[in-house]
Amino acid sequence: MTVRGSAVPSAGRPPAPGPRDLRLIVRDEPLSLAEHTACYGPLPSGPPDLLIAEVERSGLTGRGGGAFPAGRKMRAVAGARGPARTGRVVIANGSESEPASSKDGVLLSRAPHLVLDGIALCASAVGADRAYLCVGHAAGTSDRALARAVAERAGAGLDSVPVEIHPTAGGYLAGQESALISALNGNAPVPTFVPPRPAERGAHRRPTLVLNVETLAHIALIARFGSEWFAAAGTPGTPGSALVTVTGAVQRPGVREIPLGTPLGELLHRCGLIKPAQAVLTGGYFGTWLPLPAALTVPVSHEGMRAAGASLGPGVLAVLPAAACGLAETARVASFLAAQNAGQCGPCRNGLPALAEALNWIAFGQAGPDIIGWVEQLAGLVAGRGACHLPDGAAGLVRSALTVFAADVQAHLSAGPCARASGPPVLPVPARWAQ
Amino acid sequence: MTGTGHLGAIIVTSSTPLWYATRATGLVAMVLLTASMALGLLSSVRFQRPAWPRFVTLGLHRNLSLLALGFTVVHVLTTVLDSFVSIPIQDAFVPFISSYRPIWVGLGAIALDLMLALIITSLLRTRMGLQSWRVVHWTAYLCWPVAVLHGLGTGTDTPVRWVLVLTACCVLVVAVLTFWRLALAWPARPLASTAGVVLILATLIAGGAWLRVGPLSPGWSARSGTRTAPPAGASRPDHRASR
Amino acid sequence: MSQHPDGGSSRQPPLRRPQLRVNPIACDAHGLCIELLPELITADPWGYPIITPGPVPLRLQPLARRAVAACPTLALMLTSPPR
Repeated sequence: MTVRGSAVPSAGRPPAPGPRDLRLIVRDEPLSLAEHTACYGPLPSGPPDLLIAEVERSGLTGRGGGAFPAGRKMRAVAGARGPARTGRVVIANGSESEPASSKDGVLLSRAPHLVLDGIALCASAVGADRAYLCVGHAAGTSDRALARAVAERAGAGLDSVPVEIHPTAGGYLAGQESALISALNGNAPVPTFVPPRPAERGAHRRPTLVLNVETLAHIALIARFGSEWFAAAGTPGTPGSALVTVTGAVQRPGVREIPLGTPLGELLHRCGLIKPAQAVLTGGYFGTWLPLPAALTVPVSHEGMRAAGASLGPGVLAVLPAAACGLAETARVASFLAAQNAGQCGPCRNGLPALAEALNWIAFGQAGPDIIGWVEQLAGLVAGRGACHLPDGAAGLVRSALTVFAADVQAHLSAGPCARASGPPVLPVPARWAQ
Repeated sequence: MTGTGHLGAIIVTSSTPLWYATRATGLVAMVLLTASMALGLLSSVRFQRPAWPRFVTLGLHRNLSLLALGFTVVHVLTTVLDSFVSIPIQDAFVPFISSYRPIWVGLGAIALDLMLALIITSLLRTRMGLQSWRVVHWTAYLCWPVAVLHGLGTGTDTPVRWVLVLTACCVLVVAVLTFWRLALAWPARPLASTAGVVLILATLIAGGAWLRVGPLSPGWSARSGTRTAPPAGASRPDHRASR
Repeated sequence: MSQHPDGGSSRQPPLRRPQLRVNPIACDAHGLCIELLPELITADPWGYPIITPGPVPLRLQPLARRAVAACPTLALMLTSPPR
């Protein structure tokens, strides 16, 4: 599919909207620079303010899980104290430390030039002279495609700011915004206390713009086709399209691009939902469980998920089959999260292992009824009391499991672990990351 | 030299009251500095009891440090004003330039400088980085023994029994608490803690040996550099003669 | 004495009052803040401070400043009111 899109003209006239089915990923193999240019058009140029305004108008929110308005971030970094529009740093976060997510790796391996376009556009918009692309462990194949893409662009003299590819350390927290900056500053890859915010002082003590690689790819398209084109898909609360990773009890798991607001049922149907399924984990290991089939009507968008008591996060949707035990899965994830704590904050360092242990008792052991109160107390004690959101996410996950799998909880407490609890795990928990 | 009219003149110009004040304030300052050191060590080992919360340790440590500085300042002033021996004010701050017992008065200058650094940085603690404050505060481990050595070397009361006992008590308290601190500092490295304890014990033994051949043996006054001969007519009780 | 609900002067509106905040990375559970300001700070099961959210009442602000100065790791902070 080739489309001639017009570059964002510096005169400010909006381009004629192109067909909105233009995708982030057009085929399974990576696009070369020539193919990329033929498909999307050349890298647009224009005054920095124009791009920032366009991104703000589009309503694009971060696709890494934080959902912070991208335009506002760009404006904050561009306008930070210090010499105007010089010496900023752009970090493209492709770390994908969330084990159940694979969209960033897929995007980087199929459409590296969209991401690199986004980096170049943001670098010129905020006035950066350094740019990093942080790549996670699971990006094995994308390393080669990335290196090729960077070399192609260097040959064509496209990027005024060279992009340094930086491998993100292993660990669930290594891809967190402040942890990434800490690693680039030569310190341990663990979250730091905020303030100062990255927009004020981040990598090398300079104002730093950290955006997910998918967000940058969207910016590359917004720069070409405009904010109205972008917002033609999606919902008013969450405009545009997004990549989602669907795993678990589906026939065709993997990464898909959907217009936001698509009902969950439609998406799972397209992936070949294997029935009966009892629940779906939304938003990744930081997220929350939703019961099935009740959640099939929930729209996949920020406001839609929020209304259902869940969160979209980085677009991870893991379907739990009826043959698995939700408590056992959650207990395994909770143990993983507890082991991933950075050891910096007392409430998390003490509370998360206790929380995971209590949940393991419910899932796999013999526990009395007062354990529910203890779990509730622990969840309340850890939430919001760390330097990052790991304890909040773990507490939210555990609380939602106790709600959605309440019947299982009662069964486990009265009769011990169910037979399904000893079945094979559904949710991936990397063993090599356990600390 | 009788009569109230001359009383003021006696107190100001006669060296004996000032000399007593110097010795007294010096000893009190040593005790206060020892107490401050002890409370600092108790704070670092997180000592607390139901009737002794941590803020008491912290508050006492702060107040006794300030009091110790106060007594030290008086100690310095009485020394400078004392006309018996010429010790100008700069000798109290710049080490080893004194003509009277240069090494031992110099140690006092070092201790005073360190005390000022410790107290000023602590008053400004919330305005300076924590790591900088911490590094300066470690010099307390230098300040206290230097102050004690200064007292032993300069002080003319060193051979007096109760002064020796008092000093020994101070040293014992700080040594024991330092051992406690070392034991807790490196729980994963018992070798390092043991090495620290051995080092301190060696220092104590060496200190005791020095005492024996130094201040406690005859002729120390001359060996330590008491070059000023007493003016004719004035006299100071000679402790060694009275024992 | 004014009858303001928080027991303090009504001269300082709630939005202009400072808030207590702890840096959880720097905090090492020394517990001095819990001793000095039990009205606003309590201990969790592991000795770490749980701070009552919200602005610090006027009558407690001197105590809060004392607690901030007493923290051995300077983890407790009194954030200035937002402009």
